[in-house]
Amino acid sequence: MSATRELMFDHGQPSYSEVNTDVISALTTTTWRYWVTLGISAGTALLFFVAPWIYQIIVGVGAAGMNRNAMWGTYLSNFIFWIGLSHSGTLLSAVLHITQSDWRKSIYRSAEAMTLFSLMTAAMFVMVHVGRVWFVHWTFPFPNPMELWPNFRSPLMFDVMAILTYLTASSVFIYMGSLPDFAAVRDRSTGLRRRIYAVMCFGWRGTAHEWHTLGWAYTFFAVLVIPLAVSVHSIVSWDFAMSTVPGLHHTIFAPYFVCGAIYSGTAGIVTVMWMLRRFMGFGRYIGQLHIDNLSKLLLVLSLIWTYINICENFSGWYSGTSEETVAIWYRILEGPFWWLYWEMIAFCAVVPLLLFSRRIRTNWNVMLVISILINIGMLTERFIIVASSLPRKFLPDVFGTYFPSLVEISITVGSFAIFTTLFLIFVKVFPAVSIYEVKETLNPLRKKEAHS
Amino acid sequence: MTLLASFAHEDAALDAARALREKGVADVELFSPIPLHGAEEALGLGKSWVRVFTLVGGILGAIGGFTLCVWTATRFILPTAGRAIIALPPYLLITYESTILLGTLMTLLGFFVVGRLPAWRDRVYRASSNVDRFVISVAGAGAPEAEEILRAAGAESIERESAS
Repeated sequence: MSATRELMFDHGQPSYSEVNTDVISALTTTTWRYWVTLGISAGTALLFFVAPWIYQIIVGVGAAGMNRNAMWGTYLSNFIFWIGLSHSGTLLSAVLHITQSDWRKSIYRSAEAMTLFSLMTAAMFVMVHVGRVWFVHWTFPFPNPMELWPNFRSPLMFDVMAILTYLTASSVFIYMGSLPDFAAVRDRSTGLRRRIYAVMCFGWRGTAHEWHTLGWAYTFFAVLVIPLAVSVHSIVSWDFAMSTVPGLHHTIFAPYFVCGAIYSGTAGIVTVMWMLRRFMGFGRYIGQLHIDNLSKLLLVLSLIWTYINICENFSGWYSGTSEETVAIWYRILEGPFWWLYWEMIAFCAVVPLLLFSRRIRTNWNVMLVISILINIGMLTERFIIVASSLPRKFLPDVFGTYFPSLVEISITVGSFAIFTTLFLIFVKVFPAVSIYEVKETLNPLRKKEAHS
Repeated sequence: MTLLASFAHEDAALDAARALREKGVADVELFSPIPLHGAEEALGLGKSWVRVFTLVGGILGAIGGFTLCVWTATRFILPTAGRAIIALPPYLLITYESTILLGTLMTLLGFFVVGRLPAWRDRVYRASSNVDRFVISVAGAGAPEAEEILRAAGAESIERESAS
């Protein structure tokens, strides 16, 4: 136990009060660089996401490159990408909480924030994709004068329920875990900030009774959130797999999507952790042990992902049905996106093999590059799934091609800016590293030396 | 009057809490910057009632989700390709999601009810107990005899605060 405690911190353990000082000052001291970055990313979000979206609302969804047969395009693939990115945060945090892995404690808050904000970004894509966004509330079951109810037999309705639940559960999860830290910020600040945090922490005092209740509630949240996260991406995969389109109609899609989601999410966590170390000064709390463990996780996930990819192609080929084999050859060799397919294989299956080396695993800068490459690969994976299957169903005379329009490309770029903006706001509202849980990983303040 | 004793070590604070409990002193609170293992036992906290809220929420969610599907599907019968109107596989998925949704929300409610939060009024509190001190507060009649116990357990400082 104490051996792990030493490994957790590269530059020696901080004291209890240093943890408070470090984390809260990262929250309260804001340089002009922060405001410039926030301004740039918010501006990019407006220019690249909101503006083209307004244009699309005015001229109609034809502004996107989608047409028969490809009624789904980049918006859907981005939706899957962002939902996927959201997976590792809550899942990792909850699973590692249940298994009592202490190294989770300094990274989980930011990982959960990543979950929440990528989910929000994903929800934006639903609204962009539906075209007539002012009818989007029709997906909710509510009594209305048209006497219409949503069709719960449709996977799209599973999606609505799953994402609504996931958004609720992950917001609750991150907020409840932050309550004691809000109280710590309240105690450290004055004036308006103090009053805001006093309300946000619900009057938390850290009594044994409150800790006891939080402990129980938090464990239940964790237990509820794990099967939820697995179900969310399975359901997203059934949007595709429940159709009879060649290339989509695979039973392996649910595990394929869930695995891919955790994979891209873990890579996302590595990217975010690099940023937190570089720009927020959390190098003291996020160190070698964390990057090594995350990289090992990435390696395992990449191997599973590769295996499932092989399975998918093999079972399609082995089925011997002409439309399935045609779809596979179209995707990997003959179609317009064959190079994207091999780019995906290179980034998601080949490059991560480097992680067998410990020197690479513990090198933050190399890991940053690898994690970004993985997520580029995962973004293209989703694009390939949508763009190489839907335009070519069974009848060759309705075969078409799909290529994203300028509006779609711009909105894709803008979604990254939206995510960055939300995350930048997060690091100034939430303590980005959990204060009380980091303290739990320090040597306990004991008079007597514990025997256990 | 409330007595507030501050400790620098968690085991000393736990010992003090245990001793107070053995003497039968009522209204003892233990404030700590981290959840303390052993605090449940020292203060006699058993299983939390939160779990009942979670269970009830889960059951309500399951019943509610399934009922919603069946009820809305039978308001306007829309046969599609001879498929079942009340189709179990998709409806169980909705049921699953709503079970978790209500389970989460009820756990949240349970946390507030059982933890007696939010409480925005002024209460006995020392900000140091959210940094690196372990504070024990004793309210009411037990205070005089508690002071000795707290001092013996190694309290750094003992303060009095008149009851508000």
